[in-house]
Amino acid sequence: MSNPGATEPRELHRRLQAIWANLPGFGTLSAVNHTSIGRRFMVTGAFFFLVGGLLAMLIRTQLALPEQDIVGAHLYNQLFTMHGTVMMFLFAIPILEGFAIYMVPKLIGARDLVFPRISSLGYYCYLFGGMIILFSLFFGVAPDSGWFMYTPLSGSEFSPGPGSDVWLLGVTFVEISALAAGVELTVSILRSRSQGMTLRHMPILCWYLLAMSLMIVFGFPPLILASILLEIERATGLIFFEVAGGGDPILWQHLFWLFGHPEVYIIFLPAAGIVSTVLPVFAQRPIVGYRWLVLAIILTGFISFGLWVHHMFTVGIPHLAQAFFSVASMLVAIPTGIQIFAWLATLWTGRVIFSLPMLWIFGFLVIFVAGGLTGVMLALAPFNWQVHDTHFVVAHMHYVLVGGMFFPLIAGLYYWLPQLTGRMPSDLLGKTGFWLTFLGFNGTFLVMHLTGLLGMPRRVYTYASGTGWEWTNLVSSLGGFVMAAGVAMIILDVALHFRYGQRAPRNPWNADTLEWATAMPPAPYNFASLAPLPTRHPLWDNPELGESMAQGQHGLTSTGHGRRETYGSDAVTGRILHIIHLPTNSWWPLAAALSLAVVFMGLLLRIYPLALVGVGVTAVFVLRWSWENGVHPNAAPLNVSEPEDYPLHSRTQDGPGLWGMVVALMANGTLYLSLLFGWFYLWTVAPLWTLPPENPLSLAPLLLSGVLLTLAVIGYQQLVTGLRRRRGRPLKRQLWWVTGLGLGHFLLLLWVLVSAPLEGTVRAHDAVLTVMLYYLLIHSGTGVVLTALQGLRVGYGYVSHNLPYETIVLRPFWLYTLGIYWLGLAAFVLLPMAWGGG
Amino acid sequence: MVPSIATVLAGISLLILSGCSGPYSTLDPASQSAREVAIIWWWMFAVSVQVLLGVVALWLYAMFRPQRHFSQPRAQRIQNQWVIWGGLVLPTVAIIPLLVFGLPVGHRMLPLPLEEGEPVTIQVTGHQWWWQVRYPQQGIELQDEMHLPAGVPVDIELTSADVIHSFWVPRLGRKLDAIPAYHHVLRLQADEPGVYYGQCAEFCGFGHAHMLITVHVHSLEDYNAWLEEVGDE
Amino acid sequence: MPVNGQRALHGAHLVMGLVIWSLWFVALYGSLSVVCSLAPPAIEAGPLNWLNAGLLVITLLTTGLLGVAAWRCWQLSPDKQANNFPLGRFMGRLAAAIYLLSAVSTLAVGLPVLVLPPCI
Repeated sequence: MSNPGATEPRELHRRLQAIWANLPGFGTLSAVNHTSIGRRFMVTGAFFFLVGGLLAMLIRTQLALPEQDIVGAHLYNQLFTMHGTVMMFLFAIPILEGFAIYMVPKLIGARDLVFPRISSLGYYCYLFGGMIILFSLFFGVAPDSGWFMYTPLSGSEFSPGPGSDVWLLGVTFVEISALAAGVELTVSILRSRSQGMTLRHMPILCWYLLAMSLMIVFGFPPLILASILLEIERATGLIFFEVAGGGDPILWQHLFWLFGHPEVYIIFLPAAGIVSTVLPVFAQRPIVGYRWLVLAIILTGFISFGLWVHHMFTVGIPHLAQAFFSVASMLVAIPTGIQIFAWLATLWTGRVIFSLPMLWIFGFLVIFVAGGLTGVMLALAPFNWQVHDTHFVVAHMHYVLVGGMFFPLIAGLYYWLPQLTGRMPSDLLGKTGFWLTFLGFNGTFLVMHLTGLLGMPRRVYTYASGTGWEWTNLVSSLGGFVMAAGVAMIILDVALHFRYGQRAPRNPWNADTLEWATAMPPAPYNFASLAPLPTRHPLWDNPELGESMAQGQHGLTSTGHGRRETYGSDAVTGRILHIIHLPTNSWWPLAAALSLAVVFMGLLLRIYPLALVGVGVTAVFVLRWSWENGVHPNAAPLNVSEPEDYPLHSRTQDGPGLWGMVVALMANGTLYLSLLFGWFYLWTVAPLWTLPPENPLSLAPLLLSGVLLTLAVIGYQQLVTGLRRRRGRPLKRQLWWVTGLGLGHFLLLLWVLVSAPLEGTVRAHDAVLTVMLYYLLIHSGTGVVLTALQGLRVGYGYVSHNLPYETIVLRPFWLYTLGIYWLGLAAFVLLPMAWGGG
Repeated sequence: MVPSIATVLAGISLLILSGCSGPYSTLDPASQSAREVAIIWWWMFAVSVQVLLGVVALWLYAMFRPQRHFSQPRAQRIQNQWVIWGGLVLPTVAIIPLLVFGLPVGHRMLPLPLEEGEPVTIQVTGHQWWWQVRYPQQGIELQDEMHLPAGVPVDIELTSADVIHSFWVPRLGRKLDAIPAYHHVLRLQADEPGVYYGQCAEFCGFGHAHMLITVHVHSLEDYNAWLEEVGDE
Repeated sequence: MPVNGQRALHGAHLVMGLVIWSLWFVALYGSLSVVCSLAPPAIEAGPLNWLNAGLLVITLLTTGLLGVAAWRCWQLSPDKQANNFPLGRFMGRLAAAIYLLSAVSTLAVGLPVLVLPPCI
């Protein structure tokens, strides 16, 4: 048992290092630490950026002159599909997730994210999914129906090869990492800020990253659902998007863009957060209009979910409906305008130091404002009807994405490079890189607006002479190569700086935020002691803070227990509530990701028994992983120097796990609502929708099953009420009762599914119903297994009236299962009956 | 020398316009609806360029202007002014006229009921990778080729036999997707006889780049004569 | 967190305005789509029909609701001089601004029902 006052700083660091370090050698693959994982995400993302850039160069080579046949239509279609897919799913989102994973704990004065093993799982899912997608290119089976994968072109009839499967499965695999990051970052930002950091004291970047995380939570599920449905349709013939059986290809477009538009802001917001962080440092004053910015962030987060139809203005939706989306799309100009003018006002009232990051931010401003203006143009339906699916949109989109994401990202790279590596980059190479990129970018895309206005459609592999598109395409291609040279210059700069860069002084830019209080490069535990942070600008208020934290003069310095610890606090006020003990290096995430890779490869190669085995193995791994929680010997066993000031979170009734459960259920609920949306959409809109002659489900067992589920959940509620009061009936018996009731419900439901004459390959109605039943079954089954495990853990002494945490964490899951069951029954069985069909 | 300035201006605009012409150019409109969109475009372009230049100029000035010290309350006031005028008022002022002029333009392009008579109806079906054009009354069927009367509203009934395509003749007006099992109506009305070109705008697979259509617009008499001639066959 | 008798607004108010906006938006677009596919009003009537009127009514009601919420939050947020509770002021003012902008967004997005026919 260490006495913090007595521990000498050097000794403290040594002990913390022993607790927090990754395992040596190959053991580093078991790392869960956010600094390591964040770096891996960013390096892998940068690699995929280069892949995507290479594809872009091939595209521009093919289009440089008319009537060329360098790559041919077949390969060209793979190239532009892969360019979009790689840039969106394997570069932009993951690299920003990695950035957030790396930064968040450092900004809020914590030692790690609250679910470190989830970080690791997310990384491996990203890596393996990305590899599946990438390797398809080498085998010549890359997806070739566009990164938007419109059905029926992407369906089994018109894309019989494995290309579409690669996309659907690979991207879904990668999205596990996005959702993991979304849940984990949300809970970390809300529940692990250091003492006194209220919502109004959060560094502005945290607001941006919080918005990004929540947008991932709500934005990705529609695409995940759509991908699952399309993959099922391709593999088994169940009808969702095929018109002949009552499906509708437009449903795919709705689900895709319900994800696709928020996605643009998911990658723009963190980039704007970089601007809002870097710009005040070089203006040498706090950002003005903090509250305006928070307002703009929240507005953008929501309104961006109300724009998706502006990608579908030419599918024949009524003009009035298009007008709603036109106005909503233009409204986004307001939060964007607020941010741009808040930045301007910060410069106006500051004393500006012009540096390399500021140059990139200037480039961002020019390009992004131009892209925003063409965005307002495209929001106007009649103009959109002309230029939609032309190169005008290609130009607009690159202005928004490259301007809005890539330029701030490079500004951030140059800004944080000293923090990451402890060395300074070269100013000369950096400036050359900027100008080449900036001029090359505008050379490529400025003239491309005209190409589009002159009528050149997107995604054509070649074009005829005499169309008027010859010179503009040539200019675009030349510009593209100049930009590539600029990127090469940046890579060179970063590569050389490891060897020749000057040692960076501590806090070289005189920044205000806490990540500059870490060592450079940072130690895995970030801070030797955790200081109270009742301020937005900790290092401006107290430049010595980094020193005193490193000296161990603040909280959480005891090390004798060997636990990884950080503070858990109240979401609004930042008051410390408990100490979160975090898991240490673990092989379970890698094992789970590998077994998931087996599942996805099994599905891809259509070896379904293999996939099924993979699912079983994954379940075993994940459940075994979950076993190492609470007072398990590998986590925080009892009687090992419990802290005196605050309890450990697993000894309380509220902790990050509970919030993680709720946020994950929000994502899950979005998936469920997307499915309900699909049901109602097909029912009302699909041209050839038919109801079966009679209701295929037997109502009595369905209702009985629902009653059993309701009883199980009531039982669980009572059990938790007893736990909260720290007394009540014997826990173990109650848990087994709930397990039994749940199992009865599950088996009845299974019987309903098996005995129902569902013909999903004939009618979309039956197909959607089948998916809904499976969805309910998965939840019921999971609830039963998890409750049974709780029963077992009572036997091991891991759960008791004094250790009620885990059982309380599971409660929202049962409530959710109950809710979706009855809602599903009402929407899928009762409503059609009332309507007079089925 | 007023005339020479006028000549120069005329010359420049001729140069710009010739750069904007082309067989597929939306900036070289040949129908009322395409013309209205082109006009909206030029307005939006002019305003956007000014906004962009204005913001960039302000930004540069803010970075490099002589440094002054601001008290916190004064900085607060300056900030509020910038955000309110630039962030709230500017977008609002820009958006309102755009919608006021733009929405009616969109409305006029729709296949609204005509005050008198019925529009000419042509059925177009997208196939991988060709356009099937049918004149139901006359029993005429064409491939990748269409004949229209000038100055008369024409309704094109669009559908697809396989994947989603998009029918677009840029100089005549808006595009509309051809979707299996859907029958959307696209209203076109060409000003003048001539030959116009179209291309599938929605990516539809291997042959997407070569899915073209030629539209021959005739005077009403010639069009009727053409119908007689071909319909008889 | 009670400080000097003041309470910070519940954190949910920071998103509630836009949640209401989202629900209204879904209702607006959803009911338009469903009615247009089941029982479209005649095109000749232009914007003067029961569907547009219904959409206008829910738009105005939602705008009013959000406007009242904005006003209430503004009233509830502590005065700058009156106390030393900046977190409460921050939350209150921010929530009020979000309710207000949600109201503006509702009205702006809903206004096209005044000029356009619904189902073409």
